[in-house]
Amino acid sequence: MRKVLAVIRREFVERVRQRWFWVMAVLGPLFFGALFILPTLLIGKTGVKHIAVVDGTTSTFGATLTTRLNADTASFVAVRVVAGPETIDSLRNAVDRKEIDGFLIISDVAVDSGKAMYRASNVSSPVTIGSLEHIISETVNATRLEREGVNPALVAKARIHVNLDSKKVSGGKETGESAGQSFSLAYFMGIILYMAILLYGINVMSSVLEEKTTKIVEVLVSSLRPFQLLLGKVIGVGAVSIFQFLIWGVSTRLIIAQRRHLPGGGSMGDAGGIFQIPHVTASTAVVFILYFLGGFLLYSAMFSAVGAMSSNEQEARQAQQPVVMLLVASFISMFAMLNDPGSTLSVTLSMIPFSAPIAMPVRWAAGNLPMGEVALSLGILAVSILGVTWVASRIYRVGILMTGKRPNIKELVRWVRAA
Amino acid sequence: MSQPIVAVDRITKRFAGHTAVDSLSLAVPPGVIYGLLGPNGAGKSTTIRMILNIYAPDSGTVRLFGEAGTGRDHSGRIGYLPEERGLYPKMRVLDVLLFLAELKGVDRRAARPKALDWLARLGLSDWRMRKVNELSKGMQQKVQFISTILHEPDLLVMDEAFSGLDPVNSQVLKDTVLELRARGKTILFSTHIMEQAEKVCDHVCIIARGKKLVDGTLSDIKRTHGGRHVLVNFDGARGDADRIFADRRQVAKADVSGQFAELELAPQGDAQEILKALVTSGARLSRFELAEPSLNKIFIDLVGPDAANPVARPDAEVARA
Repeated sequence: MRKVLAVIRREFVERVRQRWFWVMAVLGPLFFGALFILPTLLIGKTGVKHIAVVDGTTSTFGATLTTRLNADTASFVAVRVVAGPETIDSLRNAVDRKEIDGFLIISDVAVDSGKAMYRASNVSSPVTIGSLEHIISETVNATRLEREGVNPALVAKARIHVNLDSKKVSGGKETGESAGQSFSLAYFMGIILYMAILLYGINVMSSVLEEKTTKIVEVLVSSLRPFQLLLGKVIGVGAVSIFQFLIWGVSTRLIIAQRRHLPGGGSMGDAGGIFQIPHVTASTAVVFILYFLGGFLLYSAMFSAVGAMSSNEQEARQAQQPVVMLLVASFISMFAMLNDPGSTLSVTLSMIPFSAPIAMPVRWAAGNLPMGEVALSLGILAVSILGVTWVASRIYRVGILMTGKRPNIKELVRWVRAA
Repeated sequence: MSQPIVAVDRITKRFAGHTAVDSLSLAVPPGVIYGLLGPNGAGKSTTIRMILNIYAPDSGTVRLFGEAGTGRDHSGRIGYLPEERGLYPKMRVLDVLLFLAELKGVDRRAARPKALDWLARLGLSDWRMRKVNELSKGMQQKVQFISTILHEPDLLVMDEAFSGLDPVNSQVLKDTVLELRARGKTILFSTHIMEQAEKVCDHVCIIARGKKLVDGTLSDIKRTHGGRHVLVNFDGARGDADRIFADRRQVAKADVSGQFAELELAPQGDAQEILKALVTSGARLSRFELAEPSLNKIFIDLVGPDAANPVARPDAEVARA
């Protein structure tokens, strides 16, 4: 056991010392944070726009509109200008000189047909255009209602804003998780599981391959059994991945906690749309970790066999394809499952051990699941891990001492059968 | 004689297509330097791997230190330098040494001062925090050698011990091996270079094509297998040397090259008669020496010219399990 500990220690320390580990540790949360924050940041508030309102109306419409624009202090500073022969040209120059961001041209037509013109240095922001349209149409509507003799105050009183409040029901209780949160949780858990299993599985493979190509494996297996070596390796790399998750978890939490201080952060709740920061419950975290470990053990066993049967990086890259494809297929099927987590396809995928590590957590996050299904899926996964590890360790035991050409299926079967 | 440190009893190992080791037996007594000699492909590495339990023999047994248990069970008492050298290229020198010592059951803290001491002795102190792949090949070999003896093994097993070493490192290795023997350790090493074996070995075992040809102490083997040899150096005049060397009653075989000749005496040959005949015929001699044959000569005589080409090994790389 002390020898296995030495192997675990070496795998852990050497990996954590490497630069890529810390690059991943820093880039990981930034990457996930960016996935959450960037879209809202990019389409969020664009700052206060200084605009001129060129008033060509014969009513008080221009003045009312200017007042309403200025009421939205976070978005606009508006100045009313009475339309004259040179007005448009001088305003164009002002836009050119960046003295103002743009100007709005209204006339009586605006009230009659709802037409107005906006000229600005930048018209690509949907938020600015949306706000302008909203304020103009509100003002036009109010003016038209007034013209028809309706009291605007009455209209305002009659109007109500509908807000659809969706919450996930789990275990007979509302969870406080909205539909958007469930979706993004399922989505991100799927991505992280896929990436982590692939990344750390391949880590195990290259570790096996390194010992084989440097020939140090012969010294190692003269001191401890091949299975002990493999065990130490898998646990060591697994510990690195858990450590990486801890770093990611803590730092992502910190970043999210700081998001209100980020520019534009205040609008997150509304503009975030379906990508909302999920609320991760303890049971979800447990399911995630269980399936990650299960998937990691299953796939790293297969990757270790691939490493043992190859004699260089190139061969390994080829030989790993079937294993990688298995994982990629599970990942792609996640998108089908997100739409209907209860479909026959989804249930089947969450029972097959090779896709379960991604499928089950995705279904768990997306919707309420019977505990029986989770238990059954975990049971199948556990039995498969034992079986796959048994086969893989036999291939490993023979393969690490082999040189020469890669074995074919027939030879692999002989390796597995060898006493 | 006390219990042999390594007792190999009729071990056989077959790989798909050929028999690498064929019912081989040998016994390594304690405190000696034991040479396992043979041409390339004779089965030396396979034998060593079976002794260390890296491969399990198909039949036969290996007993170590006179006790039960495999080579892996006794690995804490064994140091192993495999034919194909290699360390973790990206690890620091000191870390590699501590890790390998840990695998031998030595506590990291206990191993550290010893590792530093050995690094200093072999002139590698400044390199201890460097990565292995920053070291030259020769320095890496030294580091690997340290790793095989750091845990103070009772038995040191080296496969093709001196291959790839420059003369300086070769000398360092030889000195260290002799020092270990002086401290009562046992050394088993394989080589196909007879000159090296002749210089350091007490015991040898010569194998070819998986079978033992001869084993015993070096002096016994020389006595029983060499025949009697005479080395002659001329100092100018050769007298009637050619006629005297052709006398088959006296000389069985003569290997003459210019001023030097190595004679193998005929069964009834008498070196004194040859010396007298040479001097009488007017030859001037700077050397006339009764000699033991070189291990190299015994080896070639025993093994024969074609043993250096082992039988074809179809599928040799497959199923070494």
